[in-house]
Amino acid sequence: MARAVTTQRKVTNTVIAWGVGLLIFFPILWTILTSFKTEAQAISDPPLFLFFDWTLENYAIVQERSDYMRFLWNSVIIAGGSTVLGLVVAVPAAWSMAFVPSRRTKDVLLWMLSTKMLPAVGVLYPIYLIFIRLGLLDTRGGLVIVIMLINLPIIVWMLYTYFREIPGEILEAARMDGAGLREEILYVLTPMAVPGIASTLLLNFILAWNEAFWTLNLTAATSAPLTAFIASYSSPEGLFYAKLSAASTMAIAPILVLGWFSQKQLVRGLTFGAVK
Amino acid sequence: MASGRPIQLFRNMTAKIAAIPMILTALVIFVGGTAWTVVYSFTNSKLLPRANFVGLDQYERLWNTNRWIVSIENLLIYGICMLVLSFIIGFVLAALMDQKIRFENTFRTIILYPFALSFIVTGLIWQWLLNPDFGVQNVVRGLGWVSFEFDPLNNSSIVIYGVLIAGLWQGTGLVMVLMLAGLRGIDQEIWKAARVDGIPMWKTYLYIVVPMLRPVFITSIVIIASGIVRVYDLVVAQTAGGPGISSEVPAKYVYDYMFQGQNLGQGFAASTMMLLAVAIVIIPWAYLEFGSRNRG
Repeated sequence: MARAVTTQRKVTNTVIAWGVGLLIFFPILWTILTSFKTEAQAISDPPLFLFFDWTLENYAIVQERSDYMRFLWNSVIIAGGSTVLGLVVAVPAAWSMAFVPSRRTKDVLLWMLSTKMLPAVGVLYPIYLIFIRLGLLDTRGGLVIVIMLINLPIIVWMLYTYFREIPGEILEAARMDGAGLREEILYVLTPMAVPGIASTLLLNFILAWNEAFWTLNLTAATSAPLTAFIASYSSPEGLFYAKLSAASTMAIAPILVLGWFSQKQLVRGLTFGAVK
Repeated sequence: MASGRPIQLFRNMTAKIAAIPMILTALVIFVGGTAWTVVYSFTNSKLLPRANFVGLDQYERLWNTNRWIVSIENLLIYGICMLVLSFIIGFVLAALMDQKIRFENTFRTIILYPFALSFIVTGLIWQWLLNPDFGVQNVVRGLGWVSFEFDPLNNSSIVIYGVLIAGLWQGTGLVMVLMLAGLRGIDQEIWKAARVDGIPMWKTYLYIVVPMLRPVFITSIVIIASGIVRVYDLVVAQTAGGPGISSEVPAKYVYDYMFQGQNLGQGFAASTMMLLAVAIVIIPWAYLEFGSRNRG
């Protein structure tokens, strides 16, 4: 429940809120606008806001230089694959923690979450060695597995908090009616948890999409996703801001669009389920 | 019911089995991998890991390396400022907006957008916005303040604050949305009661509202803190550690020694130090925070 305030304050606050919102959004907006300028317009002084000759040439150049679609496809496969795989592993685990808790459930959950706080560099080299041994270096499959593992604690934790809100009696009733374990999880629990699962999916997808540490270190030419695409533009293109903006826009557009059409899930997902 | 017990037993069994894949992978990868790294940090491995133990030599060298000291200092500055500032800014903004805002979902989505971006993109965007010729400095000068100077990325003594600005931009929206949600959960009656008793607004916030927001604070701390320890991509994209070594961070030190300096032992020692530091901070706190609820 929000605090009751006068209408006048309400208007002022809304204006402040949207002012702050625009301020926060401005860097993204500016990047998108710049991507449609020519290089000369991009660095013009004073800066041009809307009144410039809109052009698509930067996008054409970026696409010609590096095959955007290949990076995009890699990102989709890696983020999508690790999300689906993560869900397959996490749903049974979260189910068991939420509905058949043992004395150690809380400890396991805490320990798992704490691994998320550890610096990834600690396990980078062992994983690198395993990758070489198994021939997984620079493959999408390898990245799917690693990123799934990195995000698994968060997925389990989020699913656990959502599952816990579902009354166990309903599952029990299903069992009384003769539902097996598989049916119980697949047809009773999952449909009830759909909103929670959707938010978890979206969060995990975004985390996997943005994962740079592992993707930069474990991929080269063939399986590099969009994070590598944009990183490749950072140094040599340092002074070509319009092209850099076009590349950035191409890298973030899928997330911005996806987020826009799933605002509720996005907010709940990005806040790790804290906002209901 | 007579059949109740075996079914219960069976359920417990399946529950254990259901959790096994997750626990196993976490165990093998995190514990196994970490242990491996710690063991090899005591060797003089160069290009390839070799089990040639040299005691604490790598650690001695590590703490005698200026770049490592700079990295630690930077992480401390970045970490403390990030936590404190994102909390203060996030809370103040949330308190200002604690009421129904029009198009609220859209508003929250926009506020959260930076958090949905990769650190690489954030780093690039802010590299540009902080560029003295086209960015903030130029805009302020254009507004008439000609002597205005703000060029953090080329000034080695304040470059880490330039990185901090980008980090804050990415993380503060999240803290704000979390706190806003927390404030919404507070009963209207509390505000009324405080007003009736004549308690000043700031006191109500400090002594009544903030303690009630504890769970939200914890979630925020966990998310922000886990981002701080891992800060790597942002620095790589925004400053590449420069100018010189003035914006280096520990994760980058580890990475550079392992893959570019071809000195694995040194990299392992540095990453072991990072693990140790995190463990010293996290473990006691986590047990105080979550452990008590376990028994309560």
